[in-house]
Amino acid sequence: MNDSQPVAAAEVPSVVGRYRVIPLIREGAMSNEHSAVADASVQQQLKLPGTLVEDWHDRAIARLGELVASRRGLRVFLDTCTKCGACTDKCHYFLGTHDARNMPVARQDLLRSVYRRYFTFAGRFFPWLVGARKLDKALLQDWYNYFHQCSECRRCTVFCPKGIDTSEVTMAGREILASVGLGQQYSQEIITKVNSIGNNLGMKAPALAHVLESLEEDILEETGVPVRLPLDDPDADMLVVTPSADFFAEPHVDGLIGYAKVLHQSGIRWTFSSAASEAANFALFTGQHDHMRDIALRIRNAAVELNVSRLVIGECGHAWRVAYSFLDALVGPMNFLEAAHPRAQHICELTHELLESGVIRLDAERNRGKVVTYHDSCNVARGAGMGNIKGGQFTIPRELLVASVPQVIDMSRDTTHQRTFCCGGGGGLLTDDLMNVRIKGALPRAQALREVVTSHQVTHLVAICAICKTQLSAVLPHHDLANVQVTSLHQLVGDALLLDGNKANT
Amino acid sequence: MPDCPNPPVVSELLPGILFALVFYWALIATFYRAFIWKRTASPLPIPLTPAPQSRAGVVGRLLLELVLFRSLARASLITWVGSILFHYGLLWLLIMHLRLLFPQLPLALLPFIQFSGWALLAMMSGLLILLLRRCLVDRVRYISSPSDYLHLLLLMAIGITGALIKRHWPADLYSTGEFLRGALTAQWQSLPDSASLMVHLALVSVLMLIFPVSKLIHGIGIVFSPTWNQRER
Ligand code: SF4
Ligand code: SF4
Repeated sequence: MNDSQPVAAAEVPSVVGRYRVIPLIREGAMSNEHSAVADASVQQQLKLPGTLVEDWHDRAIARLGELVASRRGLRVFLDTCTKCGACTDKCHYFLGTHDARNMPVARQDLLRSVYRRYFTFAGRFFPWLVGARKLDKALLQDWYNYFHQCSECRRCTVFCPKGIDTSEVTMAGREILASVGLGQQYSQEIITKVNSIGNNLGMKAPALAHVLESLEEDILEETGVPVRLPLDDPDADMLVVTPSADFFAEPHVDGLIGYAKVLHQSGIRWTFSSAASEAANFALFTGQHDHMRDIALRIRNAAVELNVSRLVIGECGHAWRVAYSFLDALVGPMNFLEAAHPRAQHICELTHELLESGVIRLDAERNRGKVVTYHDSCNVARGAGMGNIKGGQFTIPRELLVASVPQVIDMSRDTTHQRTFCCGGGGGLLTDDLMNVRIKGALPRAQALREVVTSHQVTHLVAICAICKTQLSAVLPHHDLANVQVTSLHQLVGDALLLDGNKANT
Repeated sequence: MPDCPNPPVVSELLPGILFALVFYWALIATFYRAFIWKRTASPLPIPLTPAPQSRAGVVGRLLLELVLFRSLARASLITWVGSILFHYGLLWLLIMHLRLLFPQLPLALLPFIQFSGWALLAMMSGLLILLLRRCLVDRVRYISSPSDYLHLLLLMAIGITGALIKRHWPADLYSTGEFLRGALTAQWQSLPDSASLMVHLALVSVLMLIFPVSKLIHGIGIVFSPTWNQRER
């Protein structure tokens, strides 16, 4: 199905330009890029049709009707766009690929044109006038391709004068596609794994226990301090749920070691859970609310079972959005949590709290020689918050960095904080079959990074999201930035932390 | 009139009746659209963060968007200038038109009448900026449908006929007022004999007809946009 060639660095748009330069549109530039369609077995495990159903047209329209009737955002967003064009140059996939359909409004229009044709007066009677279209095979294919070239990062929303959130449209589009048999292999398979085994990687409890043990040995060897990484500890007060990439992937695992050191020093009794060994919730990406609830419920159940009173989420962007914004609506109330911390906490909030109260101490000198810059992850920046203060998701990680590293530089303000550019691999796009899209989508981030590499000799790009870390490590070499090291925030915190051998967490 | 209503009278009253129908259609259909939005469930909170934590904060955020078009200013200065000129010019002129609802001119409306020429200029230049942008910028041209151009042209035509009424072929203000007040209160009067007024009113009727079923309703949609009207916990 995918006839695009393996990616060569030369294909990537030049990094010499700046992200402020708006390209001319190229129609259909990326129309052949498509992520693999889910296997029948995967679809069936999720109680979805294995292949494209006979009556896909009617079922897709019916499903669209149901979604529009049950999601206010979607309906308002489809109704209120004035085609003002404000969003057209704000998407990293457009800036990187120049494909006209990667302009946020054009992406929405793939669905909006059909909504208009079947559900609105003007579209039913004057389709040519308002750009309304019947759903046909070609359009269905475009849905599949272009709804999988959106990382649901919501950057376009920041600039839309109607507050239109393209991610909601993308999610609805993907949900409909899966319901007629065209799920995406990458995301749907992960959902089956997290359902059946407990994490996205399909890593079983004994394997996980083994990984944690060997990490404990590594830390002991490195620091001489017996830092623990407990699993299913029945005496724990705090459950830590982290993206499973943290257990083995580079540079994620060094962040995991950082959490363990901070938690060791805090004296809190904490544990991982083998039943909820995954913070990620890919059903957010696929727009499947029922699966999103099931996956979130797993975490709640694990917390109740372990009888903990605190819940902490590791460095994962979209998991934090789900935990911060959706947990109550999905599986709340979270009334088993202690009054001082009535909602799930981000590991950065926890570390920040410990730092403020003097429980832990950081020595930035230990990271001398490093020059770091911070990549705001889209789901943290635009879909969540931190620390109960407005904008805490921007200040708290930066304060932790400043306390841990002598030199911290911010990238251009157009590309950080609420306006941050996605790494290019979020929203269910972190799969090899979309490598071309991922490399091109990282262009604006790479350009902003290059600026600070040139001006301040930045050596490390810090992220607090497993997807960002994997994606950026993979694509930066294609943008000639191979020597910038992608790093977990908690790796730097862990390295700067003054560890105390007597504070054993046993 | 002995055998009232006789045919010529009905045909004279027809414009008023039609105008009333269109006006109340626009009003009711707009409320209905808003009601549908309100009725639709909002299963997950999706505010664009950082979002206000208080209700007052949400009101402030919505006002910034509704009054100052804040996000548009962030996105594209030229579109922002065009929109501001158009919307505020139009608002000014709408207020100016309130004079027609009163048999005696309320003094408060005087400045609106005095500066209506400038307001019209602002509105027309705003519309022109928006139209040029739509035609000239390849990205915006790509996303435009015929209706997107027609909306702008319709508004421009309304502005031009308005200017004609004001400058060249003035319609009798008093009987125009009578006509409008009559139309809105079901005491139909005949339309003053003025071609420019007739065209102006016909175009305004088209605008009111399509307002609730087109993108023109976006101003009300903004209030229902969950990315803006929800709080952060
Ligand atoms: S900025 Fe919003 S209203 Fe304007 S074209 Fe984009 S989605 Fe539509
Ligand atoms: S949500 Fe992000 S990826 Fe999707 S269209 Fe908007 S800017 Fe592009």
